[in-house]
Amino acid sequence: MNRWRRSVDELAAGRRQLVECERAQDALSRVTSCFQQLVASLGSSADGSFLREEMDETRALAHRICAGMSSRLLSLLSDSNTTHSGVEGRQVSERLWVFFLSALENFLSDLRKAKDLIGQFPLTQRSNRRSLVNTGCTDGLVGVAARVALVQVPWLILEAVPSPDLTNHIAGLEEMLHEMQLKVPVAFWSVEATQPAWPEAHSELHDPDDSLEDLMAVEVISNNMSACCGLSCVG
Amino acid sequence: MTIRTARPNRGQAFRSRMHCLRKLEAIVVEMHDPKNGVKGSVQKLNVTTIPHAVAGSDIIAWIRNKMQSTPEDAQVFGTMLVAYGFIYPLQNHRKLVMCNDSSLYRFQTPYFWPVQKWVPEDSDYAIYLAKRNIRKKGILEPYEQAHYSHLHDWLNHKWDFIVMQATEQYKASRDRNKSDRVVLDCQERAYWIVNRPPRYTQSALDCGPDRLVDPNVEEKITFDQYRRVNVFYQQAIMRPRVKSSVSLGALVKYITTYKNHDPFLASCQPSNPWQTDHDAYWTLNVRRVEVPTKMRVERWSFSLFELLTDLRGRDDFKIFLKKEFSGENLAFWEAAEELKWGTASSMSAKAETIFKTFLAPGAPRWINIDGRTMGLTVKGLDHPHRYVLEAAQTHVFMLMKKDTFFRYLKSPTYKDIQKKALNPEPHNFSPAQLEQNARNRSPGIHPIILWQQEEEEKTKAAAAAVPVDVKAVMSKIDRKK
Repeated sequence: MNRWRRSVDELAAGRRQLVECERAQDALSRVTSCFQQLVASLGSSADGSFLREEMDETRALAHRICAGMSSRLLSLLSDSNTTHSGVEGRQVSERLWVFFLSALENFLSDLRKAKDLIGQFPLTQRSNRRSLVNTGCTDGLVGVAARVALVQVPWLILEAVPSPDLTNHIAGLEEMLHEMQLKVPVAFWSVEATQPAWPEAHSELHDPDDSLEDLMAVEVISNNMSACCGLSCVG
Repeated sequence: MTIRTARPNRGQAFRSRMHCLRKLEAIVVEMHDPKNGVKGSVQKLNVTTIPHAVAGSDIIAWIRNKMQSTPEDAQVFGTMLVAYGFIYPLQNHRKLVMCNDSSLYRFQTPYFWPVQKWVPEDSDYAIYLAKRNIRKKGILEPYEQAHYSHLHDWLNHKWDFIVMQATEQYKASRDRNKSDRVVLDCQERAYWIVNRPPRYTQSALDCGPDRLVDPNVEEKITFDQYRRVNVFYQQAIMRPRVKSSVSLGALVKYITTYKNHDPFLASCQPSNPWQTDHDAYWTLNVRRVEVPTKMRVERWSFSLFELLTDLRGRDDFKIFLKKEFSGENLAFWEAAEELKWGTASSMSAKAETIFKTFLAPGAPRWINIDGRTMGLTVKGLDHPHRYVLEAAQTHVFMLMKKDTFFRYLKSPTYKDIQKKALNPEPHNFSPAQLEQNARNRSPGIHPIILWQQEEEEKTKAAAAAVPVDVKAVMSKIDRKK
């Protein structure tokens, strides 16, 4: 009787962890995509101390999500848990594992680029502002910041993890990646994709977005200098 | 996902020939100097105006001023900046050149600058293509669609991540204002046109195979390396040298003989198969062709080495020697070649047969080499190795070269084949015919068939070359009686 109750508890705990991890999956994609937008503006005319602070906050949030997710995934996929979760549960956790590792690699490459760019364009003095590249982007990053702020860390128990600075963050993530690959043998090529091959926008995004070609259209001037980027342009 | 192991990393990971990128970055940053930089203008679109566009002529004028160069040089330099991806054109985004007129360009954000140590990842490209497809279905070009399907097959395990990230990035970009969105999209598109160029276009980022050593790191040359370099040069000075007049004379003689046969200096008759997709040249010059081409036959007359290395020429030489009843020299030379190039296990057996056939006193095909060489060779055959017949082979080669070769060139066999040789007309294909040729390319003769033919020839030659046993012939004649 006691053994039965214990296994039910374990099953429930495992399922709860799976649900948390799935919500963390969404949150992580959101945070990393916002982080990528911010890094893409480093060194450009939209750069500034606001951008750098936003980057640090986003990075801290990502760090919390990553730390929580890695510990939960490790506990889900460690050997003692194999008998409890069943085949579908195991497949779902393996899928989450592969997702998490790919997202981590992507995030790491963005972090390394950010570190390089911050080193190249330090904003410590006023004269450094002159060296920023005029890319045409104005300060439109408030929307991104708001988006990041909306992301919630889905852990019921919020562990107090101090957010590290950039170099330590990179080193920590590399170590985490290495450890995870060593500890759990997951054959990542056996994971099958659930998303469709040619995904379309969901119906919730209502207004049909213009393509770049439409946005770049200018009134056609009589000479050949018209900025027509139609697909008939032969390069 | 990459698999990391504990072994030391001997991978070749450094892209070479790209250390100009640092210098280009410095120049691009200098272009932004408010006092001396390039003056900007605005790009007017239907929906909004975007600042920080620059006209091509302004950039070229600034480069001319800064580097004190001619307008052509400045234009080439500007094109290089566009081709590497530091500046992108706004109007004809597929053509990465800098035009010296009022066409507009904009600077690329440093995130998308080309960096020597990082290669743009395939998963990033997949996210970009998925994002564009999500935004408007069917907008990908054919080469992009081909890339997309390939990535979907190959990155299938990451596909969930790719689609989720693409959707999130798409949603995140919708939070920016309109002009920023246009700029971001232009930047990303320009980045991927530079790094994943469409078919049949040149890419400036072609850097050849990766290197083991970082080309940017300054190597400190140690004392030991200097010592060895000094020893090397001292030894080089003390070596005997050939007068340059002599060596240049030999070079000139070589060039005059081989001038018409060089694949770069003279065109290939009838047409170069790599260019016109018509394989007449290869079928006419097959190893066992009945009638060789005139160029091939002419080549045989250059030296005995050319004659023997071309197997068709060797066959012809054999026919001539059979008429003269002096085929044993060539047979010995071929047997020695077989010993040199054959397998190690067959070497002792081959050495035995060669000794019995060619070198033993009273052998059926005894070769006439001088006593010293014969003595050395026979002694060496006690412990046969690959090059035991080298001295004898060279002697025989010299005999053939000094005597038989010239007789061959004057013989009716050679003159006959010279007359019979084909001289094909050069092809003159129109572009439509070239398309046709490209479509009708055949895979050619299967190597197994060629190998089978060679084996047949070898067995036939072995049967024909069996030395005639006089006793057997005599006994047959006896039996007839």
